[in-house]
Amino acid sequence: MVGVPAPLKTQGIVLRSLRYAEADRILHLYTPDLGRVGAIAKGVRKPRSRFGGRLEPFFHLHLLLHRGRGELMTVTGAETVAGHPALRQDAGALDAAARACDAVARLFETSEPHPQVFWLLANELGLLDREPGRAGHANALAFRLKLLVAAGIAPQLSGCASCGDAEHLIGFSGAAGGVVCAACEASGFALERDAHAFMADSLGRPLAEAPDAPERALRQAERAIIETAEHHAHVRLRPALAA
Amino acid sequence: MYPQPVERLVTELGRLPGIGSRTAQRLAFHILRASDEEAAALADSIREVKDRVGECERCFNLADRPLCPICEDPRRDDSVICVVEEPSDVLPMERTHEYRGRYHVLGGALSPIDGVDVDDLHIAELYARIAEAQSSVSEVVLATNPTTTGEATALHLAAALRERSPDVAVTRLASGLPVGADLEYADEVTLGKAFAGRRAL
Ligand SMILES: [Zn+2]
Ligand SMILES: [Zn+2]
Repeated sequence: MVGVPAPLKTQGIVLRSLRYAEADRILHLYTPDLGRVGAIAKGVRKPRSRFGGRLEPFFHLHLLLHRGRGELMTVTGAETVAGHPALRQDAGALDAAARACDAVARLFETSEPHPQVFWLLANELGLLDREPGRAGHANALAFRLKLLVAAGIAPQLSGCASCGDAEHLIGFSGAAGGVVCAACEASGFALERDAHAFMADSLGRPLAEAPDAPERALRQAERAIIETAEHHAHVRLRPALAA
Repeated sequence: MYPQPVERLVTELGRLPGIGSRTAQRLAFHILRASDEEAAALADSIREVKDRVGECERCFNLADRPLCPICEDPRRDDSVICVVEEPSDVLPMERTHEYRGRYHVLGGALSPIDGVDVDDLHIAELYARIAEAQSSVSEVVLATNPTTTGEATALHLAAALRERSPDVAVTRLASGLPVGADLEYADEVTLGKAFAGRRAL
């Protein structure tokens, strides 16, 4: 069989699904070994498509992909690992899932493999499906903090990111890459004790056991996350929660 | 290869969905062979549709007057509004012959991540129609697509309507429609069954 490359077998999570041409969809997939992949699925918008509804956002799938001439691969097979039906019945969980997928797409937009990102996203979607009520600011931020770790830009939380001082950590500086002490605070913004604790606890625990914190602390933690992504990955993350 | 006007026609036809370059060429030659009247009728119909067709003031369906034919029809049932994403979703619902009420076309589906928020769709206008003093609406059928964004839109509308208009029943098409498919491709039997089996939300 000359010239017919074998199909690629991979797991994947559908991040986004865009209508294309007559009845096709272009999928943004996240995979463990191929990173982010763009693929076209032909005829999926027709009711009798053999893919059924499996290629909708947030589906976790076993996929068969063919590499064509262009940039996009073609989906030739899809089996469901998890469809997350309960998540789909809850407006808050749906929005949280869309924002989680968007954060992954923005921070990890290349084909460089980050299997831990794939499994983190699979865990987050699984959690939102088991307990749709978990969708909220704290869960969304804990997820984003873990993404920063996977991207290799975890904020420094144990000592001042500018001078190393372990005391009087009262601010956060995206440029410095972490918390800053009173002497160095000019380079950052105020990060109160409970916001600092929320960030450290979130990183130290599994997603399902992520802590909660007062809304004011969560807003500070979100600012710290957004500035870290901006300074160190040059990525502008969207708000973690609907306005 | 061909005179420039022919090339231009082939290029323009080739922009249409589902038309490849071979088909565009065939269509262009068909038009070249057609009588002047036939060709002019095609050109005029394209110009007319762009000049005269806009949105219905009430339901945002396609209309060449202030109101669309469905809003103008006095025989339609005022007590039911069927909410769809696009004007192209009205025709398949009509073909089922199951539905005799009015429509409301949202102009898309909610997808905050793509920048489509409540304010970008005709949602406020829907609430206003239901809240109107002389409104006799007793049921709103949510017929958004069975896709992730369509479901999110239905969930949002159902929650909002429960709060704003607790006396109005909110229903959703039955799940005979496969997830991921577009309403406009559903056959009338499936869509008719989905409509007949709609469930309260
Ligand atoms: Zn310092
Ligand atoms: Zn109308």
